[in-house]
Amino acid sequence: MQLASFLNAQDIYVEHRILTKMQVYESLVERICHHHKLPICGKKLLDMVIKRDEEATTAYNSGISIPHIRMEGFQDTVVAMVFLQNPIEIDGIKVSWVVLIITDISSSKLYLNMVAALLRISKDEDIMRLLTSAHDGHGVLHHLRTMGVDIKKDLAIGDIMISNPVSIKPHQTLKELGLIMNENGFSVIPVADDNNNFVGEVSLLNFLKVGVPDYLMMLDNLNFLQSFEPLENLFEKQETVKVQDIMQRNEVYLAPSASIIEAVFVMITHNKRQLPIVQDSKLVGVITAMDIFRKVIQA
Amino acid sequence: MIPMVIALAIFFVTYVMIMTEYINKMTAALLGGFLVVVFGIVDQGKAFAAVDWNVIFMLIGMMLVMGVMKQTGIFQYIAIKTAKLANAKPLNIMLMMFVVTAFVSAFLDNVTTVMILVPIAMLIANELKITPVPFIITMAIASNIGGTATMIGDPPNILIGSATDYNFIDFLVSLTPVIVIITISSLGITYLLYRKGMKVSNENRARLMDFREDNLISNRKLMHRSLIVVGLMLTAFVLQGQLHLEASTIAMVAGLTLLIFNNRKKVEDVMAHDIDWATIFFFTGLFMIVESLIETGIIDMVSRQILTISGSDLKLTSIVILWFSGIFSAVVDNVPFVTTMIPLIKNIGTHYSVEAMHPVWWSLSLGACLGGNGTLIGASANIVSVGIAHKNGVSIKFKDFTKIGAIYTLNSLVISTIYIVLRYF
Repeated sequence: MQLASFLNAQDIYVEHRILTKMQVYESLVERICHHHKLPICGKKLLDMVIKRDEEATTAYNSGISIPHIRMEGFQDTVVAMVFLQNPIEIDGIKVSWVVLIITDISSSKLYLNMVAALLRISKDEDIMRLLTSAHDGHGVLHHLRTMGVDIKKDLAIGDIMISNPVSIKPHQTLKELGLIMNENGFSVIPVADDNNNFVGEVSLLNFLKVGVPDYLMMLDNLNFLQSFEPLENLFEKQETVKVQDIMQRNEVYLAPSASIIEAVFVMITHNKRQLPIVQDSKLVGVITAMDIFRKVIQA
Repeated sequence: MIPMVIALAIFFVTYVMIMTEYINKMTAALLGGFLVVVFGIVDQGKAFAAVDWNVIFMLIGMMLVMGVMKQTGIFQYIAIKTAKLANAKPLNIMLMMFVVTAFVSAFLDNVTTVMILVPIAMLIANELKITPVPFIITMAIASNIGGTATMIGDPPNILIGSATDYNFIDFLVSLTPVIVIITISSLGITYLLYRKGMKVSNENRARLMDFREDNLISNRKLMHRSLIVVGLMLTAFVLQGQLHLEASTIAMVAGLTLLIFNNRKKVEDVMAHDIDWATIFFFTGLFMIVESLIETGIIDMVSRQILTISGSDLKLTSIVILWFSGIFSAVVDNVPFVTTMIPLIKNIGTHYSVEAMHPVWWSLSLGACLGGNGTLIGASANIVSVGIAHKNGVSIKFKDFTKIGAIYTLNSLVISTIYIVLRYF
């Protein structure tokens, strides 16, 4: 199924003006209500879009924002999109393509496939160059048809993962690890060598464990201990202990082509909220449970 | 003749596997057990019937009891309380830990004992900023000595208790006195070995005195119930003669009662983690292999040989068994050894009165249990203790352990010999 088959030329336009996020939403809602008969429209629909935007980010790193509205009793899927010549900022991401998708409450599958197709396009510089050079909806549809962009392919982890993630090298010290964790607020960081080959993962708990010797771990509880010097003096070891001494090697990981259900399955069975994404033994991304929750389940 | 050769071959290969741990010892024992069936030396029915269910359920029962008792935190409470009573003086702590370990080990399996107590000792040593090595070595040794004191303290005693008519009281009367003497003399050795060199600053001493060990008893209700059940179990063991109950029945009833008192959801947890199925199957395999030695007449042959050599002198036989077991157990797991020796001694016993055989059985127990201290690999408790140390970056080499262990073993075996001779001849 071609993506273009789901789109109408009049729902696609190019915006030359400098607009705020709110103005972009307003014009999208106006356009979609003008051409389609929706159960909810006008101000109400705009409020829904704003509310959705506040709940969780709609923006993806590739510069596309996909607000999604589910409507009770609307047995269809309509899409309106705008290419912004002057990008707006949504949650720290420069967005130059906003796609509003309205579906029925239950139609998840088509929606997810559509998102997958849109994300693939947004990451492909050649197609994006063509699309942004189009003057109107007809031009965009023409390019999409000739490029043969279809939506048969299911959403894969590679579509929603965080690409080029922050990673650490095995020979870096605990001090450096601490800095990176502190700076980014990450509690799990993938470990990759100098050639970006995936080696393992290191977590904040691995870090703290340096101050808790094995014999303590053998006790059933430690409520009789008020303080423990090795833990409090962890900083003494920061310069000498390396990431490779504490990391978990050959951790579970996924390929970018892995499906959403596979990622969720692996996360649940291994009780992990973050997985590294590895392709040809190179670290290419990470996926978090929150990414899946926000971009797939709540979307 | 051919079945004999095959049985011996399977027996020796299995023994070498267990000794060298070339393959996992449970796998080796079970495989050996089924190979004697495959080669038609013993038919399957007989091989299965050779499994001493009294031993198996005794082990399971005690594991259940331990699994629940461990959760009460009482053993670690006692260890820390003891260290405080010793005023945080290293030598005193070491001596008192020796006694505590020996005492706990008399009722718990040796390995479990060191797994509970060695981490606490390492914590104490860390807080006092002294080396944990002497603690770890002496505690492993103490667990092997203490375990010899009762019928339930060490697997060789469980095996002997099940195979003979001896009950809990017999063990208490015959072995506990000599173990008390050995423990006291071992404390003397510990004092002589470690009286110098361990200094603790006031500041570090204060850290230990600051432990709030009362917090360790998190579930008082469970602890009280556990202590009552264990008390009843020990009483039942003492009254075994009057109750006409086998030890395994008593242990199982106690274990299952505790399992009910314990958190219901934790039953599967206890089944999966606290029951050491590998040990259970290890015993099962050994029983089957040894049955092949009995069936083919090898045991009968060897026992006759022993009697010929010793000139039917039971005093000499006892002393030879004591020292042979002691030396052999210092290098090999004592469980397969005792399992093999039991039918042998039973066979010898057919020529003598029950009373006359007492010293022979007790010699087997003392030799097999105490010999484990001879080298690092002589007993599981040693291996486990040193393993815990190793995991914490404390290296204890074979010769470090052995040169200390050999002193205690020599002392134990000499005292045992004197005891056996004075008491029974």
